This record gives sequence, structure tokens and C-alpha cells, in this order.
Amino acid sequence: MNHNILLPALLLIPLIGVVLIALGAPAKKTATLASLLNLIPGFLLSGTVLRSGEVLFGPEATPVREVFPVNFLLGIDGLSLPLVWLTLIVTLAAMGVAPKGIKREKEFFICLLMVGLGALGAFLSIDLFYFFSFHEVALIPTFLLIGIWGHGDRSGAAWRMTLYLMLGSLVLLVGLIGLVMSVPEVARTLDWRVLTETLKTNPLAPGTQGTLAVLLLIGFGTLVSLVPLHSWAPGGYASAPTPAAMLHAGVLKKFGLYGLLRLALPLIPMGWKEISWLIGVMLAGNILYLGLASLQQRDFRWLLGFSSAMHMGTVFLGLIGGTVLGVGGALVLMVGHGFSAALGFAVAGEVGQRTGTTWMQDLGGLAKRAPKLWFYLMVATMASIGLPGLANFAGEILIFFGAWSSHPILVVVAAWGVVLSAVAMLRAIRVIAYGPPSKAVENAETPDLIGWPQIWPFALLAALLFLIGLVPAVILGPARPVLERLVSP
Amino acid sequence: MSLWLCPEVFFVLAGVGLILTDCLSSSGGRRALGPLAVGLALALFFWTAFTSGRPLPASWGNLLVTDGLSAMFKPFFAICLVAVTLMSARYQLGSDEAVRGELLALPFFPTAGLCLLASARDFLAVFVALELVSISLYLLTAFHRAKPASLEAGIKLLVMGGLSTGFLIMGIAWLYAAAGTTEFSRLLLEQAGKPASPALLAAAGLILTGLAFKVAAVPFHAWAPDVYEGAPTPITAFLAVASKAAGFVLLLRIFGFGAFALESIGQVFRPVILTLGIATVTLGTLAALPQRDLKRLLAYSGIAHAGYMLLALGTLGEAGLATVVAYLWAYLLATLPTLIFLNELERIHGSTDMRHLDGLARRDPGPALGLTLCLLSMAGLPPLVGFSVKLAVITTLWNAGETPALVIAVVMAVAALGFYLSPIKAMYWEREPDSIPAKRFPIFLVWIVLLAGLANLFLGLYPRPLVRLAERSLAPHPASFSIPQK
Repeated sequence: MNHNILLPALLLIPLIGVVLIALGAPAKKTATLASLLNLIPGFLLSGTVLRSGEVLFGPEATPVREVFPVNFLLGIDGLSLPLVWLTLIVTLAAMGVAPKGIKREKEFFICLLMVGLGALGAFLSIDLFYFFSFHEVALIPTFLLIGIWGHGDRSGAAWRMTLYLMLGSLVLLVGLIGLVMSVPEVARTLDWRVLTETLKTNPLAPGTQGTLAVLLLIGFGTLVSLVPLHSWAPGGYASAPTPAAMLHAGVLKKFGLYGLLRLALPLIPMGWKEISWLIGVMLAGNILYLGLASLQQRDFRWLLGFSSAMHMGTVFLGLIGGTVLGVGGALVLMVGHGFSAALGFAVAGEVGQRTGTTWMQDLGGLAKRAPKLWFYLMVATMASIGLPGLANFAGEILIFFGAWSSHPILVVVAAWGVVLSAVAMLRAIRVIAYGPPSKAVENAETPDLIGWPQIWPFALLAALLFLIGLVPAVILGPARPVLERLVSP
Repeated sequence: MSLWLCPEVFFVLAGVGLILTDCLSSSGGRRALGPLAVGLALALFFWTAFTSGRPLPASWGNLLVTDGLSAMFKPFFAICLVAVTLMSARYQLGSDEAVRGELLALPFFPTAGLCLLASARDFLAVFVALELVSISLYLLTAFHRAKPASLEAGIKLLVMGGLSTGFLIMGIAWLYAAAGTTEFSRLLLEQAGKPASPALLAAAGLILTGLAFKVAAVPFHAWAPDVYEGAPTPITAFLAVASKAAGFVLLLRIFGFGAFALESIGQVFRPVILTLGIATVTLGTLAALPQRDLKRLLAYSGIAHAGYMLLALGTLGEAGLATVVAYLWAYLLATLPTLIFLNELERIHGSTDMRHLDGLARRDPGPALGLTLCLLSMAGLPPLVGFSVKLAVITTLWNAGETPALVIAVVMAVAALGFYLSPIKAMYWEREPDSIPAKRFPIFLVWIVLLAGLANLFLGLYPRPLVRLAERSLAPHPASFSIPQK
């Protein structure tokens, strides 16, 4: 079987799901089935990637110079493989968690599938045009998801998030245009593999690299919610319906990090080094400022939003460390954070649905009344704190080791971040899970998950957190050769 | 002899024919006028598409030329005519006024004028063709004699159009005084390498002003929102798409590669056009934000689009000119279906206020989806075609090193999301009104809007056809969809 065909299949299956739902197929079943079926090309492709390192689909770049040289070129290698898996799993879990009888079910699941599709397309695209476009595909469904099915100040959150992300995207777009246009005309292309080769042999002038690095940092930084470009994130996630928060915080946000890893690191290494002080300041802001802010949160969803944005700082530390160890750690943390954030939002959504509140003071005694939900709450929060054995720890420890030689002070700051996040999360657990059962928990008809149809999404995410935490090699093994190429000068 | 079978002649003949049919037929026959006009417009579109690359009659040779630009834009105007007649045909059936054939017949005349305009190679031809367009449009804008808004729009267009014609003719007079010719190619040949005289610069400035009125560039834009709102919606479509495009075709021909494509003039006018562009994008976008009437909103959005095209044009490079051409087609593809939709909305609800869209996605998912795609394309969101052309504008500005214009273009593209998303918000997440009108969107219009939306998507994902189109438009010889010449 030709494995090239499997790449577009990854995008086609959700698309077919969208069409079927639009035509009247039962929404939740179809969406779950499409996400489940999508695992098959995922599995088959993983095998090929492990054997041959890379799979491509699409026309090779034409040598003739075109005015508008876009090529629908898809590819997957050891670096994108874990992110593709992250997307596949979180999409599946999000479909599983999504409430069945939600209002306007059809449109809800179409939007969810579109968000997943956009993320997958972005991770698979080799052509910068499609790389950028696929990410934007997710923008409008997210706007609608928050606006129609969100809670709290949903309208404000939806507008803020959309305009913020659009501004970030356009700055990013200018950066990408600048990047492509600074390459001499004969070698100009939108294929980032070719760009990497070209710029490795003929690097750009340091001044140009600096400008581009700033543009890319602001662009990707907005998408990743780096302080001070973060203010869309906590509120947006707090207002989003559960599956949307899972997909956005867990998966879509990783697009910015992935872009930096793919483009900024190998294409403009000098510019990247030049502004590393700026990134240092910003990421310290993420860790300390957002860490302190998360201590003050009273709503569990807001707490998760802040803590999710806070961890991006640690990932950035890995990215500016400039060592294979650090970058590898960043990749592990990206995936680990994706799963832990998704699990956290899933638990918060479930608690909110069953008790009617996520206001922490109104909760209490959940551990006794809902032991299963308590277990997954513990897994999600412990992973987020960085407990050894769970995925985030593996990532963080690698990042700390990798960045120590170049940025010791920032490593100390980041270690403090772990303490802050531990304080915030442990307090949250104490209030939510222990003590005498509160009215909300007491009055809930079915406070706990019942039966496998409800449990499997949680179990799936938790299992992966354990798997990556205990065997980080599942990510680092295939990614290592790619990362070495990215980091080597 | 066969050269006389050019589209312009047929447009005029069709218009006259329709008026005669209207006069001579019984009331029953008049009812067939709408389908007849649509059929004629469609037939003429195909005829134009096939013959627009052929040379024009020899005796017109001093005034008109057939090149890539004219060959590619005549079908553009013919598409507009098809849409306008389609909308007018619906309009009359629904309105209380007696069926009057002029609304169907008159748009054929300005279409002929626009086609001539696309071919003009002499300022005199420009003037005559432009008057043919303008006068027909004055009539059509004020067509609803019973509605004060329509009359007001007609008067506004008449006064402002007259003023702009005054600027234009004044410019042409100065030009003749300064250079001794009004022919584009002779002007180019004789003035090449010479420093531009002040009189020539003044002439270029006056002509630019006249055309800036036509494309509704700031500060000559004030007529557009009122006229778009007051005019019958089909005529709004004609003004918003065909008339604006014609202005840009002229700007391309005059400042891009014809008449004033001189080093000496470019030096002076490049910053002028860019400044116009910056002002137009900014004002168009910001003024659109508070609009609640969709026709007004589209008017301001059209002003903003004109600004983006002026920015691309202002770089005066080949890439910029190609971008303008591609942008015009993308604009047509997103704006015309939106106006066809608004025409229907107005027929059902009596106005184009945004609240009529509330909850539309649940009643009528088809047109809601099509309209959403069109609006997002106008907003410039990938993977729709509007994104590709905005990308081209930004790339052009980056290459030309115009940083301030680049920053404005990017910031305004984000701000524009504010008003393009409001109708989408209304359709998808507002509550449905209590009373829903019994009238529904006719199924063929649903398909038109939906297919146009999908076309926006397709061309966004696969922009190569658009690139080819732009390349061919700027070629000196018509290669086009035309049949080969014997």
C-alpha cells in the first residue's frame, strides 16, 4: 500500500465527517467515528516514519519560477509525528467528552472537527502558504464555539480571542513574507525544507535575521500566549465549551511552538540568538507573572487557563536553550502539556456539568462522592505540577538540563514556576476534593463518571500522560535525528 | 465586416431591443422581459468571453485598442451585467411599482461603456465612454421615483459624478495644452526621458482626482455610502463592482503602463497614490465598524478594498499591477454574491438591516454558509481567495519597502474582522426573531450564493487560475479565453 496516500487521508476523514454531519448523519457518533478512524492512517504512517524517517505527499517543487509558487505538499517526520498524534488523540477525547444533547449539535461537532482539521493540516503542511492557512481555518470555528456554546462572558471572550489571534497571525504572516522575500530570487520558495537547506548554506544578514526573529516572535508568541501577548488565553479558555478548550489549549496552541521549532530555530539562528534576552524576559514573565496570577484564581477553569499559559514559558526556555536536550524536552513538554491541559479542561467541564459550578469555593468533598473524577483530577493536576512519572516532568527536567549551560538564571526562575504551579494546583485540589461535601457536590444527582462510555476519554488521556512520562523515548526516539539537524549549526 | 460583431455593439443593440420590446408588447409580454434580459445578458457574456480578444473595427483604431487588459476585463463587466439583470428581474416581480423595462434595459448601455473604457487608448475615448456609463447610472440610481432615498442617491451621484467629470475633462485639457496629444502611446513616447512640466503634473493630478471619485478613494469617497444605500440593489451591485473595477482598469492603464507610466510622473505620484491608499484603507475600515445596514457596510468595505488596491497600484511595479487585477476578480467573486443575497434579503424584509440576519443559519443554512464564505473572503481569511490577494498586496508592499503602508494594511485587516464577523455572528449565534417572514430564499439563488462561496474557497486553495488571469491581463497581446484569430 502506498503510504503517501495516507497523509491526505488524515485530512480527508474529518472532512468527510463534516460533510456527513451537514447532510444529517447523527452528529456525535459520526464525529467520534471519524476521529477514531483517523487513528488508522496515523498508525500506518507512524510505522513508515519509524522505518524511513519521513513521508511526503504532493507535487515536488517545480523548478520554474512562479509568481505565486504554492504547492499542496504534505509531509510528516519524527518531529511532526508526536504532534499529529497529540491532535488525533485529543480530538478523539474531545469528541468523547462532548455532551450529546447540546443545543445545535450538528454545528457544534462540525466546528470541533474543523478545529482538529486545521491543527492537523498545519502540522502536516510543508508549504508555508498552507501551513499558515490551515491554522487560520480553526479561527472561525473557535469564534463560533465560544460565542454560541461558551459560558460566562462568552461574547467578549470570543471577540477578544479572535481579534488577538488574527493580529498575531498577520504579524506572523508579515514575518513569513519577509523571510521568503529575503531569500535571493532564484532560490525563493515556500517549501520550508528547501528554505532550510538554502539558508543553512547562505545565511541571511544578521540585521535581517534580527528583524524577522522579532516579527516571528511576536506572531508566534501571540498564538502561544507569551506575556505580554497572553491576555486572550485564560479568559478564552475559561469561557470556551469543554471540547473546544481541550482542542485549543491542548493542540492548536502548539502550532506557534511548532512553527518556532521548525522555522525560527533553523532558518534564522543568529536572529534568534540576538533576541534571546527578549524571549528570556517574556518567558520569565509567563512563569512568574502568570504563576502568581494563577494563585489568585477562584474559578477552576480560570486557574487551568492561567496555568496552561504559564507552562508555555517553560517550553520557550527549552527552545532558546539551543541544545538537542533542551529542544527535545520542549517537544516532550509540548505533547505532555497538550494531554494534561486537555485532561484538566475535560475534568473541569465534567465537574461543572455535574455540579453546576466550577467556582472552587462552592465545591468540596469531591473525592468521596466522585472517586473516579477525583482520580483524573489528580492525574491532570499532578502532571501539570510536574510529578515524576507523568509526561510533563520528563519534558521539564530535560529542558532544565538542556538550558542550564546557557541560561542558568532562567532555569532557576523556571524552577520557581514549578513551585508556584504546585501551590496553585495543590490548593485547588484541597478545596475541590477534600473537606466536607459542599452543597453543589451533595446535590449533584450523578457526581461521578459512570461506565466506560463516559470514562474512556479520560482514561485515554491519562494513559498517554503515564506512557510519555515513563518512556519519553516514544517521542524522543523518532524526533532525535530531526532535532539534531535543527539545532546543529 | 465581422469586426463589427464586437460585444460593445451587441450590448447597445440588446439595450435598445429591450426598450422596444417593453414599449411594443402587451402587459403579458412584459412579464417575459426579465427572463429575456437575463438570457440576453448571459448570451452576451459568452459572446464577450469568446470574442473580447479580437481586434476592434479599424476605424476605431485611433481611440481603442485590444490588449490583454481589455480582453480580460470585458468578460468581467459582462458577468456584472448578468448578475445585475438577474437581480433586477427579481426586483420587479416583488415591487409594487408597475413593471418598467428600463431597469432591465438600461444596464446594457453602461456595460457597453465599460467595455469601451477597458479598450480606450486615448483620453477622448475615456471621456466619451465614461459619460455613457455615468449618465446611464444617474438614471438608474434614481430609478425608484417614489422613494426619497433613491432620488437623493441619484442627485448625489449626479452632482459628485459631474464634479469628477469636471476634474477629468479639466485634466485632459491641461494635458493637451502641455503635451499636444491625448493619445496614451504618443504621450508615453514623446515624454519619455524628459522632466515632467508642471502643466503635465497638474494634468495628471486632475485626472487622478477624477478617477479617485470613480473608485471612491478617500477623500473623494463621501458619495458612496449614501448612493449605495439609496440606489436599487442591482444598481448598487453595478456601482460597487463594475464601476469600481472600471476605475481601476483606467488607473492601471494610465498610471500603470500607459499614458503616465513615466519615470518623471511616477516619482511624484507614487507617494500620492500610496497616501491615498493609506487614507482609503483606514477610513473605509474604521467607518465600516459601526454600520448596521448591510448595504452601507458593503459600501465602506468597498472603500477599504479600493484602498488595498491603491496600495498595490501605488508601488507602480509589475507585481503591484498584477495584484490589482487579481484583487478585482477576488472582489467580484466575494461582493457580487453578497449583493445578490442582499437583494433577496431586501425583497423579503424590506430593508437590508443586519437584524434580518438573526438566526438565519438555523432557518436557511445554505445561503448562510455561502454568505459566510463570501464575507470571510472579503475579510481576507485563509484559505479563501481574499486572503491570497491580500497576501499579494502585503508581499508587494514588503518588496517595495513601504513599511508604513504595510503596517496600516495589516492593522486594518485585523480591524476589518470586527465588521465582517458581525453579520456572521448575527446569522449563527443570535436568537431567531419571533416572527419569521413566510417568504423563503428561492432555491436557485441559494445555489448561486453557495457555489460562489465555494468558488472563493477553491480559488483560495488553488490560486493558479487567478495568477494566470493576472498575467494574461498584463500581456500586451490578448491571449485570453478568446478563439484563435484567422
